[in-house]
Amino acid sequence: MAEIRLETLAHRYSPHGAYALKPLDMTWRSGGTYALLGPSGCGKSTMLNIISGLIHPSEGRVLFDGRDVAAFDTGRRKIAQVFQVPVIYRSMTVGQNLGFPLVCQGAPAAHRRKRVETIADRLGLGAVLNRPANALTADQKQLVSLGRGLVREDVAAILLDEPLTVIDPQQKFDLRRILKEINVEFGVTMVLVTHDQTEAMTFAEEVIVMNMGEVVQAGTPRELFEHPATRHVGSFIGAPAMNFLAAVAQDGQAMVPGTGLALPLPADVGSGSGPGPGEALTLGFRPEHLQLAGKDAALSGTVTRIWFEGLDEIIALSHPAGEIRLRAPAGTGLSPGDHAGIVPEPGRLRLYVADRLAG
Amino acid sequence: MKTFYLALKYLAVTLWSAFVIFPFLWMLSTSFKSQNAVTGGATWIPWAQFEPSLAGWKSLFGGVGGINIVKPYINSVIVTGTASVIALVLGTLAAYGLSRFTFRAGPIRNADITFFFISQRIMPPIVLAIPFFLMLRWLGLLDSLPGLILVYVAALMPIAVWVMVDFFNTIPRALDEMAWLDGCTPVTTFLRVILPNVAPGLVVAGMFCLIFGWNDFFFAFTLTFTQTQLLPVSIVALNSSVTPWWSLSAAAIVSVAPLAVLAFVVERFLARGGLAGAVR
Ligand SMILES: Nc1ncnc2c1ncn2[C@@H]1O[C@H](COP(=O)(O)OP(=O)(O)O)[C@@H](O)[C@H]1O
Ligand SMILES: [Mg+2]
Repeated sequence: MAEIRLETLAHRYSPHGAYALKPLDMTWRSGGTYALLGPSGCGKSTMLNIISGLIHPSEGRVLFDGRDVAAFDTGRRKIAQVFQVPVIYRSMTVGQNLGFPLVCQGAPAAHRRKRVETIADRLGLGAVLNRPANALTADQKQLVSLGRGLVREDVAAILLDEPLTVIDPQQKFDLRRILKEINVEFGVTMVLVTHDQTEAMTFAEEVIVMNMGEVVQAGTPRELFEHPATRHVGSFIGAPAMNFLAAVAQDGQAMVPGTGLALPLPADVGSGSGPGPGEALTLGFRPEHLQLAGKDAALSGTVTRIWFEGLDEIIALSHPAGEIRLRAPAGTGLSPGDHAGIVPEPGRLRLYVADRLAG
Repeated sequence: MKTFYLALKYLAVTLWSAFVIFPFLWMLSTSFKSQNAVTGGATWIPWAQFEPSLAGWKSLFGGVGGINIVKPYINSVIVTGTASVIALVLGTLAAYGLSRFTFRAGPIRNADITFFFISQRIMPPIVLAIPFFLMLRWLGLLDSLPGLILVYVAALMPIAVWVMVDFFNTIPRALDEMAWLDGCTPVTTFLRVILPNVAPGLVVAGMFCLIFGWNDFFFAFTLTFTQTQLLPVSIVALNSSVTPWWSLSAAAIVSVAPLAVLAFVVERFLARGGLAGAVR
């Protein structure tokens, strides 16, 4: 278990090619849970492979507990990695698979047997220990991969690279629960790569949102939800996505015409005459932070669609400034075509200048 | 209807077996014949059709007009066996390297190196005869077992490389990476994780090495004089102005016997599912 620090880490696959991972700094505390969230091809796997030593970064350093691990090859870093497609040693039994890292370490056989049994029981693999590993189902194979990480008491971190992609939904839920429990029981640092925002938000204490090889925002799920650093994060996190309406500068304020929505412009935006070129203003607010009000509210629109989500319903309103969605407790009695007013909760409006959170 | 098809199937198999076994049976029968029995038209059954004689078999052990093939036989076993093992070990290591690591020297890439190995078998052996002769003379290894083993390793290794590169390429690289993550060094990764997965490849490559090595006549003939003789050469030496069909038949039987046993063993291995799971 180790604290992992990335210092101005960056990677290009070819010397003069584009960055697969743009320079970034990051610290992951020992025993923490982290999620890398971003669309396919944004550099998540590249980052994990650099940490485990499968790839040598073209720039920057990786430190485990303050020690540069550049000189340590993969085997000595004691990182466990679980891949998207289950990887198991087909020529071995489940028990041999689980014990293999200890064989590599040259641990005594008695110790190995004890550890393997402990881990297998914990992961519910006790009954299949002597079966060929090849005969397992996909989710059991992923458990074996996870178990190979846990069997070493000194494992530095477990990196999970979209491990739930090929798993059935029901087993997915169970596996995610097991991961959480394992993190608490063993105190092992876990990094989960995913492109599913719910998975990331429910698993991790800190979510790192990435896009195009860049860390867009890193923070607790609550921070990401309440203060998305860019419009991209606002759209990516939360369902339905954040509402964004184009705003104009007027009297030192950014306001959306015809809505009554306005926020003071920060001093550093544009000159007195308004924002400069490329400084498009947008106001953003969450569907969760809107409340229904009477027809005569400052902001109102026509209901176009309604989605039912159990206890809630999502209501889409059309407004000249753009579509607005809100989440309201079920039973609003509205139907498409109705006219409805809404008021945003105070303090929930966010101003975006050139797609970045201002202030 | 089902019985009919079954009968048809057995008939076909029986006919094919007879077709395949026929030359061997004739060889066996001929090995017990004498001059008269061979020239007196086709005959099959000893005592009934011809008077059996052990002259052919005796000549293999230095009998009248024969050559003792025991020593060449042992030489052939030593040379083929040793060369095959060395070629398999070196070839497998080379193939793993070619499959997993990137080599480049100027415009030369992995695929070119692999083709270089294979090209050694495309060349007619005659091209290599003089260089090999000169090299062995320089090393003082002409007409010796170590010299022959050296040459056979060079001749057999391309086969091992060729077969094994294909087998290694079917093993996903993620398996190597997983082994590194679990604390293996590149060497232990190869030995403990990858090698068990290519066991069928080793069997196939080993079989090819043994067959090609055992059957080679050309190098055995050009690189030896009197001291060292291999089986194929001594069998040819059995021949004389009056072809001794009985001796040649007996020699052919003993020389093909180990290959028949090998084929049987490999066939059992493959039938038992040795190849199952070799390819994902
Ligand atoms: N071995 C490689 N060689 C060259 N480019 C690569 C290689 N692996 C990944 N890339 C590129 O690097 C970028 C990031 O890839 P990756 O880290 O696999 O993304 P993710 O895991 O987030 O889907 C992608 O644009 C991809 O095309
Ligand atoms: Mg990936």
